[in-house]
Amino acid sequence: MRELAKKRLSENLKQSVKYLTLVFNDFFILALIFLFGALMFWYAQAMKTMPSDLWFYKPLVGLIMWLPLLTGHLVTLLKDADMQFLFTQDAKMSDYLKLMIKYSMVLPTILIVLLGGILFPFATIKAGITVWSYALIVIGTILLKGCMLLIEKENLYFYYNSPNWLSLVITLAVLLIGSLGSYIYPIEVVVMMIIARLGTKKDKGIFDWRYAVESEKARKDRVYSIFSMFTDVAEKQVTIKRRKYLDFLLPKSIAKENPNLFLYRRSLLRNPEYLNLLVRMTVFAVLISWLVQDWRWALGLSCLVIFLTVYQLLPMATEFDSNIMYRVYPIVRDNRGKDLVKVLNLGLLIQWLLISILWLILLQTDVHLWASIVALFVFTMIINYGYLLVRVKQQKIKR
Amino acid sequence: MTLKIEHLTGGYTGVPVIKDINLEIKPGEALGLIGLNGAGKSTTIKHILGLLRPQKGKILLNDVNLIMQPTKFKRQVAYIPETPVLYPELTLKEHLELTMLSYGLGPNKSWYRAHELLKMFRLDDKLDWLPIHFSKGMRQKVMIVSAFLADTSLLVIDEPFTGLDPLAVANLIDLIKQSITNGKMVLMTTHVLADAQQAISNYAVLNRGTIEVIGSLKEIRQHYGLKPDDPFDKLYLALNREDNGNA
Repeated sequence: MRELAKKRLSENLKQSVKYLTLVFNDFFILALIFLFGALMFWYAQAMKTMPSDLWFYKPLVGLIMWLPLLTGHLVTLLKDADMQFLFTQDAKMSDYLKLMIKYSMVLPTILIVLLGGILFPFATIKAGITVWSYALIVIGTILLKGCMLLIEKENLYFYYNSPNWLSLVITLAVLLIGSLGSYIYPIEVVVMMIIARLGTKKDKGIFDWRYAVESEKARKDRVYSIFSMFTDVAEKQVTIKRRKYLDFLLPKSIAKENPNLFLYRRSLLRNPEYLNLLVRMTVFAVLISWLVQDWRWALGLSCLVIFLTVYQLLPMATEFDSNIMYRVYPIVRDNRGKDLVKVLNLGLLIQWLLISILWLILLQTDVHLWASIVALFVFTMIINYGYLLVRVKQQKIKR
Repeated sequence: MTLKIEHLTGGYTGVPVIKDINLEIKPGEALGLIGLNGAGKSTTIKHILGLLRPQKGKILLNDVNLIMQPTKFKRQVAYIPETPVLYPELTLKEHLELTMLSYGLGPNKSWYRAHELLKMFRLDDKLDWLPIHFSKGMRQKVMIVSAFLADTSLLVIDEPFTGLDPLAVANLIDLIKQSITNGKMVLMTTHVLADAQQAISNYAVLNRGTIEVIGSLKEIRQHYGLKPDDPFDKLYLALNREDNGNA
């Protein structure tokens, strides 16, 4: 099992590196450097003017140090087929998971050390925590993460069932209380570790394969969701959400519908890839408009965002082509571009409306801003009725 | 009003799987397509559904040529696949609505029929469910309900009994019998001849891509030199022997 774990970890590392190089491309690194620089500049300025030793500083340090504990769940790399092929390996799962725990510690440790470094001036100068106490907090937080992962591991067996939120509440309490005094903290961590150790059994009994595989799928899905914000992720599985509360956006009667309109409407509302994209891009447009605080830049960048939204929604046109029933049913596919335009029009109009309203709230309201709102509307229509229609027509229909 | 398959040769790119197939199904007739795995049953079905490009020959349904008038042809065909294929983003109710839209069915009359079928397959209280919540058997029932709702002149059924409970198998057999009585055409592939023979009396045996014999089970037994009371398994053994003999 150790060999299997090693093999899977190395494959996982390769895959992660592949996506990380795509995510952290030159432009993104440059943007990150600027953002980080701006944040650090603001931090340095704030440190000069901030009053010292306020009562909430120490708990604040505890709260901020708790944040990295929210990241990095136990990586198990278990697969569906394991339920079949590793079914008899319950007793050996301990060996397999030991390596997985070590691997799972890497990311949280980096984040804790990084955050610990950034918070160091505030904690020692403003909050009045001694250097040694602070070092204990950082080391103790890493140990707490270790405890959390051990508890997650135990949860994979039938006999143990401790919800993850309980670990988070306990660690938050430990960090908040611990940040008040240097001597309390190590004691707390030791107590936590003893509890975690006592909770584990040597003879673990039956492994909960279904739960373990489902948890790993959910974890991978979260990771792929982050990657998919920057690049296409082939492994990402789409889980359709019913979203009954959005049904009011669907026509009450099917009398004026055609099969393509019918399918596209439901895909836009229930496929998380498309609806999330629309929401994400709208938030992004508002955020950058707020950051630039200038109508020219806001207009230009929002146009770019709307174009990118439509560009990324293009695969919707051929989404159903791989469904055999879509091809067997007598569905006419020649005019589906117009149907897609009709469906996306509503989504894009809502996007334009939200961006415009938030411009009026966040930017200086003058004649230029009103003109920009009109220009953004015209651009949205051109992209939807012009660009989208042409691109869908260019896509070959598989017969 | 006939399904005519004339000199059909086809398969996957460059690899002919079926060779010079000729079949005819008249209204009120049902034909079972039987054969070993890889004999060409699914390939034949894929050609009838327009999912594969024929290398030779043509397929006509009520004089409508599949290649020339695909939509008109498809409006007369309903299909139940071996593995259920549903739209993950549509509820059960919406699958039925899509069937009505695609086949141009009037909602009032169709919903009456849909409720009958849903009740028969114990799905009438699951109209708002997404496919993700259905078991494999329930998904197959959705395919069956949709196909019979379409009320087409030809019904193509691929291995329909897999994953269905005995009650659903009996209901499906009844529906097939009703369709035949109503003058519809049925083409079905199956290995479960014990169930199939309750609804279907005529069979075509496909072996290595060609049709060896068409007739009743009695005639097929005679063709392969089997006794009248021999189990159906012997038919497959005979096909296997023949296959090995020719290899």
